[in-house]
Amino acid sequence: MSKYKLHPISAAIEALKSLKSLIVPGIILIAANGFNFTVDFRDEDFWGSMFSFLILLVIFLFTTVAGILKWLTFRYWFEEGELRVQYGLIVKKKRYILFDRIQSLNYKEGVFHRLFGLVQVTVETAASTDGKPEASLTAIKRVAADQIEKEMNQAKYGEITQDDDMLITPKSRKVYKMSAKDLILLATTSSGVGVVVFGVLAVVSQFAEYIPYDWIYDELAYLVKYSVIIVIALILMGMLAAWIISIALTLLNYYDFTVVEENKRLVITRGLLEKKRIAIPLNRVQAIKIVENPLRQPFGLASVQLESAGGGFEEGKSSKIVLFPLISKKAAVAPFEELFPQFDFEVQSFIQSPKRAKPFFYRLDFLWIAPLTAVLTYFFFPYGLLVLLLAIPMVAWGKWQHKAAAVQQAEQQLTIVSRTFSRVTFYVQKNRIQAMEQRQSFFQKRRDIASLKVTVMSGMHGATAIAYHMDQSEIESLMEWYRHTKKAAIEQDPILE
Amino acid sequence: MEMMEEPKYRIPEKGVTVWRIYGVLQVIIFAALAGIATFFTYKFEGPVVISIIAWALVAIALIILVFVFPTIRYRVWRYEVREQEIEIQSGLFVVTRTLIPMVRVQHVDTGQGPILKKYGLSNISISSAATVHTIPFLETQEADALRARISELARVAEDDV
Repeated sequence: MSKYKLHPISAAIEALKSLKSLIVPGIILIAANGFNFTVDFRDEDFWGSMFSFLILLVIFLFTTVAGILKWLTFRYWFEEGELRVQYGLIVKKKRYILFDRIQSLNYKEGVFHRLFGLVQVTVETAASTDGKPEASLTAIKRVAADQIEKEMNQAKYGEITQDDDMLITPKSRKVYKMSAKDLILLATTSSGVGVVVFGVLAVVSQFAEYIPYDWIYDELAYLVKYSVIIVIALILMGMLAAWIISIALTLLNYYDFTVVEENKRLVITRGLLEKKRIAIPLNRVQAIKIVENPLRQPFGLASVQLESAGGGFEEGKSSKIVLFPLISKKAAVAPFEELFPQFDFEVQSFIQSPKRAKPFFYRLDFLWIAPLTAVLTYFFFPYGLLVLLLAIPMVAWGKWQHKAAAVQQAEQQLTIVSRTFSRVTFYVQKNRIQAMEQRQSFFQKRRDIASLKVTVMSGMHGATAIAYHMDQSEIESLMEWYRHTKKAAIEQDPILE
Repeated sequence: MEMMEEPKYRIPEKGVTVWRIYGVLQVIIFAALAGIATFFTYKFEGPVVISIIAWALVAIALIILVFVFPTIRYRVWRYEVREQEIEIQSGLFVVTRTLIPMVRVQHVDTGQGPILKKYGLSNISISSAATVHTIPFLETQEADALRARISELARVAEDDV
């Protein structure tokens, strides 16, 4: 039985990873010292200011040594239909994974990997629902990765399994490939703009203490004296820069986005600098989401996401997987129904949130607008009253959400439409719903209105969809649909003696 | 459409006492904060209004957390374990009614902290693949029996699709 090692570069990759995770604490430390640490070792403050960096250095060295040790001791091999992994110097960790249990092998190639023709392989099993892979091989040769796949397929399909049709399905079929035009459209309309802007704000607020505001304020006052326009231009330029950054990020992440179906699995590859490949068994898909960003909705464009029971691209995050980053809603139907024949994607006859429910979509906003107005009016009369104007966009937004809110159930399928900013259509089958909740406040009860929340498996905490403020009887009949005990049985079923 | 029937069983009345104790503990924390606020206003000769407001808030918290909320919670709380599903009703301002089919139940735990132990009560928590639901403050004996019953039912439950 030959045992295999990881590629030596994996020690370097592990070290780099630990270095990367130390960047943020490092910056915080520098900032916390007020940028006035000294590098002159004769200075009496030298050791004091260097102490925290020493700790970081020790942590870094420690993790690097740990990475090297892991590489030195790491072995994997194939035995008795299992992938066996072992590492550790003093405490030996062993993990045996039955090939039969492996849901998917996911590949990731960072810049380092690609320089040396390596891949990172992560192994997903049914047990790895917490978003953590069952095993991870930091860096191995491409050929070695193919060999694992080969061994797995041999173990899985070598002998006849119950799933005979698995063998009959065509080996692989291209489902979707994003064109350059779509990629550019995706990047420019991605709501990542907002994310980046908020990110900048968050970072600024984090370090607000260390920014020499006095200086900035003087500078700003100076600018304002000349022209407000310059300030506005600066803000716009900042937003433009944020937008360009988000476009660049999207281009890097979604470059060459391809979806292939093989052996009842979806294989998604993407990325320019860092290439990622993820495989999702179709039967692990729990729910499907069509997300229509307001920028794209007028053009009939949407993005399609899967909630899967296994892990996604990001370790530890919820297992939301983008299936089609950007697709015309009409064009998506055909590949959909082929991939998920149990679903109906052209749902008709949605039940809308009733007219009387409209106020519920903006009513709660007054809870914070009212005291805010009161406080600001007290201090800045009468200008504080202007805050009341906030109510107009709030009510408009609420009405917009109300217009989108809808629900529909037919046979085994439940479809929920809701909007925060983007309109989200959530498709789920009854047997994938882990729990269903009817929620009703006192005020909703008075108007015969209720909300419904469904939870499906996805990552560690599951994914939820909420049908807000629907007709109560509608929600109750959905609860009835989900109920496994029939009504007649309930009446004569005293479980507790 | 007729109204849905509520689940049959309530939690034991001792539960209200436990909620009140939890409320008292929370109020003690608030009182400590108010104490600190009073100390500082006194020390730095700040306006007395601050400490008056702080203690008024503590009094309000006392009424709400110790007297009002536990009673409402107790009135709303209901549960029922049936052959095919578990139904729980809970809430304060928003009444939530949850259905967990037996086939989705992955495991059931019972647990008790020092306060529950003193009163001979236990919580049951029911986990599905994505959610955890708790039925609080059952008599320990009853909780253990119910846990055994749920795990038995979950084992034999068959998927309907």
